[in-house]
Amino acid sequence: MRDFVKWLVSQLAAAEAHEQTGITAKQRLQLVLIQDRLDLPTDKMESMKHEIWEVVSRYLQVADDFLEFEIRRLDELVVLVSNIQVNDASELVPATG
Amino acid sequence: MTGRTIVITSGKGGVGKTTATANLGTALAMRGQKVVVIDADIGLRNLDVIMGLENRIVYDLVNVIEGKCKMHQAMIRDKHKLELYLIPAAQTRDKDSIEPEQLRELCEKLEQEFDYVLIDCPAGIEGGFKNAVGAAKEAILVTTPEVSAIRDADRVIGLLEASELHRPKLIINRINTNLVKHGDMMDKDDIVELLSVEILGLVPADDHTITAANRGVPVVHDKKAPSGSAFLRIAARVDGDEVPLMDLDPRISILDRMKGLVGLSGRAYSHA
Repeated sequence: MRDFVKWLVSQLAAAEAHEQTGITAKQRLQLVLIQDRLDLPTDKMESMKHEIWEVVSRYLQVADDFLEFEIRRLDELVVLVSNIQVNDASELVPATG
Repeated sequence: MTGRTIVITSGKGGVGKTTATANLGTALAMRGQKVVVIDADIGLRNLDVIMGLENRIVYDLVNVIEGKCKMHQAMIRDKHKLELYLIPAAQTRDKDSIEPEQLRELCEKLEQEFDYVLIDCPAGIEGGFKNAVGAAKEAILVTTPEVSAIRDADRVIGLLEASELHRPKLIINRINTNLVKHGDMMDKDDIVELLSVEILGLVPADDHTITAANRGVPVVHDKKAPSGSAFLRIAARVDGDEVPLMDLDPRISILDRMKGLVGLSGRAYSHA
């Protein structure tokens, strides 16, 4: 009887542990499709990059070009990653402003 | 008469486009409509074997377009004497043998004589796709519930939009109800949410489709085949009838739950 209970418990645990791969598929596709649809033409990507550089350079002395500028996956998100070297932060507006 | 030209397309190959074209065409003809199906997959002819007409081919689509024969000479009538005709693809030519405008002109001529002109589109998004899509005014998209097929379908939806073919309708083929029941296959709601398109029909995975293809008789002729009745419903819907979607939503019965607990259900999903 004890063996039977043990066995039953193990069966229940196995049923519980079963990964519903349909959900995994859907979640993966949600991200993949966002990325696919985001396939911005190179010229649009370039003009966005340029405009962002202009805005940043109004506040900071920055390098002429981004070290990194791309759309990519970050865990469960699709993110725009941009990195630029700041040459002079002395003109940073104080946080109290 | 002004018929409707509909392209049957997909992103990924092998999801059942040709089977869908053959069955939709046959089912529409069984409803009394006059139908012509065109195999636009030049170089990879297949609609003829699915319909069992491979031995009757004399002329093909490229012959018609190049003026080597008259339109009617290339039309092969269905074996069951329905008002259903096939224009086969050329087998020994490549996809650049025709231009989109040429196929469009041919379809416009056919629309004068037929209620439905169905174009079986080649897989992929190259020249053959553009030919087929450029000739049509409506689009039906076929997918299976798999990640690769759905991803490619999404891409094709974008391309159809770009060709002014808005609001394509979706057929989800080869649904394994058993897998859906166990949460191991995306269901129709998941797919609609991902692709934001209207569902035209759900087709269960069904071995009858394979035996029907072996014999060259579209599965809609088989009254016992679940996939056959699915295609009949799809045809009715295309033809303007209001038919509810096939109920494939599995309900887990108490018996199934108990079987699951005692390990009888197994994971060897048989076809539903």
